[in-house]
Amino acid sequence: MFAKRSVIGLYTDEEAAASALDALREAGYDQGEYEVLTGTPYPEGTFGEEEPKHTLYRWPLIGAACGFIVGLVLTSGTQLAYPLVTGGKPVLSIPPMTIIMYEGTMLGAIIFTVIGILIESRLPRLFMGAYDERITEGYIGVTVTTSEERVGTAEEVLNASGAEEVKRGWENN
Amino acid sequence: MASGHAEHPGNPALVTAEDVTKDLLGKHEGTSNNFWRVASVFGILLILGIIGFVMRLSDGVSDTAVWGYYAAMFAFILTTAQSAPMVAIAPRIAKAHWRRPISRVAELWTVVGLFNLLLFIPMLWILPPLSDGRRSLWFYFDGGDVPSYSPHIWSTLAILGLVVIGVALLWMSALPDFAMVRDHAPDGWKKRWATRLARGWIGSSAQWNMQKHRLGILGAFYFMMLIFVHFLISVDFLITLVPGWVDSLFPITHAANGLQAGVATVLLTIWALYKFGGYKDYIAFDQIWALGKLLFALSLLWFWFWFSSFNIFWYGGKPEEQAIIELLMSGPYRWAFFGVFFFNFLFPMWTMMWNPLRRSTWGPPIIAASVLIGTFLDRIRLYVSAYSIDGIGNPAINKHVVVEIPETIYPSLADIFIMLGALGGMVFIFLMATRLIPIVNIWEQRELKLYEIHKTFHRTVVKVLGKPD
Repeated sequence: MFAKRSVIGLYTDEEAAASALDALREAGYDQGEYEVLTGTPYPEGTFGEEEPKHTLYRWPLIGAACGFIVGLVLTSGTQLAYPLVTGGKPVLSIPPMTIIMYEGTMLGAIIFTVIGILIESRLPRLFMGAYDERITEGYIGVTVTTSEERVGTAEEVLNASGAEEVKRGWENN
Repeated sequence: MASGHAEHPGNPALVTAEDVTKDLLGKHEGTSNNFWRVASVFGILLILGIIGFVMRLSDGVSDTAVWGYYAAMFAFILTTAQSAPMVAIAPRIAKAHWRRPISRVAELWTVVGLFNLLLFIPMLWILPPLSDGRRSLWFYFDGGDVPSYSPHIWSTLAILGLVVIGVALLWMSALPDFAMVRDHAPDGWKKRWATRLARGWIGSSAQWNMQKHRLGILGAFYFMMLIFVHFLISVDFLITLVPGWVDSLFPITHAANGLQAGVATVLLTIWALYKFGGYKDYIAFDQIWALGKLLFALSLLWFWFWFSSFNIFWYGGKPEEQAIIELLMSGPYRWAFFGVFFFNFLFPMWTMMWNPLRRSTWGPPIIAASVLIGTFLDRIRLYVSAYSIDGIGNPAINKHVVVEIPETIYPSLADIFIMLGALGGMVFIFLMATRLIPIVNIWEQRELKLYEIHKTFHRTVVKVLGKPD
C-alpha cells in the first residue's frame, strides 16, 4: 500500500474530468486505481465512474440480529428462571418482551452501525494519497494511485486530458 | 416561448457554488460581539441553573414532589431539542430541496442531547425502584432476587443510544464541511478541530456515496430511537408514578408533542438566523412557510391524540379515571392545562388557517413560540403533578387509584433557577456548537447549485430544480 504513488489532476470542468477517466481506462488503469474527488456530491455516474460498492447495510443488520437475540434470550431466560403463572396464562409474556427485544435490536444496530462507519469509510485514511485543498473550493480532482513504474504514464494521461495542474502526492503531502 | 437561462434573481454574489462556500465559511469564521453578548446571557442562566440544582440537591432525593420541575425540564428538552433533528431527517429522506439551509440547524440540536444526558442522571436517583409495588411494564416480584431497577437500566440505555446516534448523525453530516474549514480557515482552534474531526475526508465518490447511505441509516435509527425514548420516559418516569393512570395512547401523544415542539424549535431558530444571523440569502420564506405548514398539521395531531385519551377517561368514568382527569386537567393544574390547550392547539389552529399569516415570515415563528410555551406548560402540568402524588416509593400506599389529589406545587426559588438554567443551558450549548460547526450546511448548499437554474418563463423568471435519483 505505502509503496504506491499517487498523483492528482485538477480540473475546473466536469466534462474534462470525465474525459480523463475515459483516457485512464483506455490506458489500462483499473477502476481501483483512480478516483474522482469533489467538494460537492455530484450525482452518481456524472464522470462515468462506476457506482462504488459498499457493505454498510451489513453492519446494522448484523448488529440488529445480535441485539435481537440478546433481548430474546434475556427476556425469555428471566421469565423461565422465575416462572410465575398468572391467571393460567403462559409463562412467556410476549408483549412486554418485545419492548426489550426492540431496544436490544436498536442498540445492537446503532453500535454496529457506528463501528461499521468507522471501518467502512476508512476514516482515518491510513494512506491519504494525493490531495489538493482546491477540491473543497470547487475544483474536480482525478487521482491515480498506482505502482511507481506506472505513475509517469498516469501524469501524461491527466495532462493530456486538460488538467489545469497535475501534482504528485508524495511530494506535496 | 422565450427560453434559456435567466438572470439570477437572488443575491448576485452567490451565483456559483464557490461563492456560496466563500460566503458561508466567512460567516462561520466571524463572530459578532452581539453573539457573545447573547451567549453570555444564556451562560449566566446556565450558572443560575447549576446553583438551583445544588439548592435542590441539598434537600435530598427522597421527596419526589420537590423534583417535579426538574423532571419537567428534562422532559421539555427531550421534547424540543432532542426532537428537533427530525426536521433534518424526514425532508432529507424525501429529497426535499427546501430543507437544505435548515438541516444543519436541526441536526445541531442533537448536541443538546449530551446536556440532557447529564440532566437525566439525577432522574435515576429520584425514580424509586419497583419494590414500592407500583404497576409497571417490567418483570418484577417482591421477595425474589429480580432486579427492581429495570426502568432505570433500560431508559438509560435507550437515552444513551439516542444521544450516540444523534452525535454520529451530526458528525457524519458535518464531515465535508469540516474538510472545507480544514482546507480554507485561517490557522487557529477552529482549523485544528476541523482537521481532527474531518479525519481523512477528501471527497472521493466512494466517500460521498457512503455518506449519503449513512445519513439515511442514521436518520432512520434516530427516528426509531426517539419515539422509543419518548415511550420509555413517558411510561417509566410519568404514567407509572400515578396510580390508576392506564393510557396506551399517552406515550405516542408524548412523542407526537415532541415532533410538534421539535418543528417549533427549528422554526424559531431559523427565524432568529433569518432576522439576526445574517443568513437571509439562504433562509427565507420557503423554509418558514414549509415548517409552518408542518407545525399546523402537527398541532391538529396533538388535539387528536389528547381527545382520544380524554374520551376514554371521560366515558369510562371509573373513580381512578375521574381522578386522572382531575389531577391533569380540571384540578390543581387546570391553569396549565388550559394554557396547553390554547397554545398548542387553539392558537396555532385558528391563526394558521389565515392565509396572510401562514404565508408570511413573521406568522409561523409566532405560532412556534406559542407551541413552545404550550409544551413548557404541558411538561409542568404532567410531571409536576405526577411527582407530587403522595406515596411514590412507599409500598404501603394504594397503587391503583389516586386517593387524594395533591395541591398545586408552585415553583420555589430553586425551581425557578433550574428552569432558567435548563432553558439557558440548551441555548448556550447550541450557540457554542455553532462556533465549531457551520450552522448552514455548506455542502448541501453547494449541491443545490448543481440542481438549480433560473429560467425565463413568459414575462417572469422561474426557478427550476432538478432532483437526483
